[in-house]
Amino acid sequence: MNRWLDRSITLLILALIGWAGWSLLHWLLVGADWSVVTTNLPLYAVGSFPADQRWRPLLWMAVLITLTLLTLVGPKRGWVRRWLPLAWIAMAPLGLWLLAGGLGLLPVGTRSWGGLTLTLLLTGGSGALALPLGILLALGRRSDLPVLRWSSAGYIELMRAVPLIAVLFFGQLLIPLFLPPGLEINRVLRAVVAFALFAAAYIAEDVRGGLQAIPPTQREAAAVLGLSPVQTLQLVVLPQALRIALPSLTNQAVGLLQNTSLMAILGLVELLGISRSLLANPAFIGRYLEVYLWLAAVYWLACTAMALLARHLEFQLDPVRSSR
Amino acid sequence: MTVAILASDLVKSYTPGLRALDGVSLQVTSGEVLVVMGPSGSGKSTLIRTFNGLETLDSGELDVLGVRLDAAHEERQVRAIRRRVGMVFQQFNLFPHLSILENITLAPIKVQKRSKPDAAARAIALLDQMGIGEQAHKFPAQLSGGQQQRVAIARALALDPEVMLFDEPTSALDPERVKEVLDAMRQLAKRGMTMVVVTHELGFAREVADRVMFMDQGQVVETSDPQTFFTSAREERSRRFLSQMM
Ligand SMILES: Nc1ncnc2c1ncn2[C@@H]1O[C@H](COP(=O)(O)OP(=O)(O)OP(=O)(O)O)[C@@H](O)[C@H]1O
Ligand SMILES: [Mg+2]
Repeated sequence: MNRWLDRSITLLILALIGWAGWSLLHWLLVGADWSVVTTNLPLYAVGSFPADQRWRPLLWMAVLITLTLLTLVGPKRGWVRRWLPLAWIAMAPLGLWLLAGGLGLLPVGTRSWGGLTLTLLLTGGSGALALPLGILLALGRRSDLPVLRWSSAGYIELMRAVPLIAVLFFGQLLIPLFLPPGLEINRVLRAVVAFALFAAAYIAEDVRGGLQAIPPTQREAAAVLGLSPVQTLQLVVLPQALRIALPSLTNQAVGLLQNTSLMAILGLVELLGISRSLLANPAFIGRYLEVYLWLAAVYWLACTAMALLARHLEFQLDPVRSSR
Repeated sequence: MTVAILASDLVKSYTPGLRALDGVSLQVTSGEVLVVMGPSGSGKSTLIRTFNGLETLDSGELDVLGVRLDAAHEERQVRAIRRRVGMVFQQFNLFPHLSILENITLAPIKVQKRSKPDAAARAIALLDQMGIGEQAHKFPAQLSGGQQQRVAIARALALDPEVMLFDEPTSALDPERVKEVLDAMRQLAKRGMTMVVVTHELGFAREVADRVMFMDQGQVVETSDPQTFFTSAREERSRRFLSQMM
């Protein structure tokens, strides 16, 4: 009796899945009109970057993809491997230079930045700011100085209690107030700073978890060797704590990438922003499903690449596994 | 004969009213091996941890290698002493993220500012001396307890200390691994290293110690040469402890 029930439920579920899969496939191949994607590929990639300068963001992304592939499936040893970390660190300044121009390149205003390029730059830029800030906050929270401890904890709790979108709006409105009159920083930078201030609170909590996992005897062992407190932190405690925090930091990084889409509300034309402006174009009216499916695929690809890179980093940093 | 450690009337309590050290006085001369014994909680760890400033004192006078480490000791003085006093812990406390070689060369490079090749050559020599030269490029987790403890000894020796402190260095080891560590310590004693060793290894104490100090409840009960201590201890408390150990 029970067996028959099991079987019929299984069959029913299979039939449902098959039907849904078939309709989706049918729609993808016959019903959908992909022209909204195919004719706008440059927009998705680089936004409204001047056509004769498009090679700059495209070059940056090409280097990024090359580095990703080299890291994941490139040679295991040799000079390529040795230079990879430095190359990765150079990617943020390289991206900024290629997009903004100057130093021999034609300057391009941030209003023309957009698409996947902007999404990646926002992720990289805010991540690069948030990580050191988060580490400092985590250390502050464990400091011996009560003032430092309380202000770090207060900051972290405050940021974690406020939704990101509110922080982003406040950033647009408040950051200019703190700057001397006449000095104006542009929207993209304001968004990156606000985003980093927010992410730092979460990163701080992850790093704190890592710090707590280091037994006090490690500090003692460093102290009896005559290492100063700063050296102990830099050479013994932080390397171990960050390694422990790495899996949760990876989650934060992927979340960072996805949350850049909120900046569309601030008027930045990153991936989501570009899509919304395309959907507002009469030529592509009603093509929601195509656009959002395509968008989902691009985000999925970028997030998967990030997750793979993070897993690779975890493996590299595990001394015992990587030495085999 | 120069004095390496001179302590008089050391007092230390972690919780008010409960003295972990209750008026300890002692003297360790250069080249001497002092073994400290006593029941659990008698203050042995607390005592030797004051010798390199890991614990602060409530009162008493303490002079280590000519530097005063008193109740009001200064961070700078403590750091100066730590470069000259090596310490080995019960739980090895190697740095798990560094290779064996990096564990040993870290302090020579960062604290003594020696060159990398110089520090590495010295580290290899020390590892050879400990009988584990071929382990240099492994990581702590890949070594047995006995091997890890010998790395810890090499790490302390790499700073060329004048005094070595050992806090139950073999208590966390499998019985069959104890000998290799004690042998390394024996060698060290033969070369004239000044050593203070907290241990329950009676054989080691009998054979290597110049003097045995017995502690109970934060006080020194008696200090004798090992011959006397093991055959005819003066104090009743020492005899009772020894009868339980054997
Ligand atoms: N960090 C601490 N905080 C509070 N009390 C402590 C601390 N460390 C030691 N004590 C107490 O001080 C006393 C002496 O401890 P100590 O560790 O020096 O003894 P020990 O002789 O080394 O014992 P064992 O053989 O168990 O290692 C004990 O009563 C212990 O409970
Ligand atoms: Mg102890």
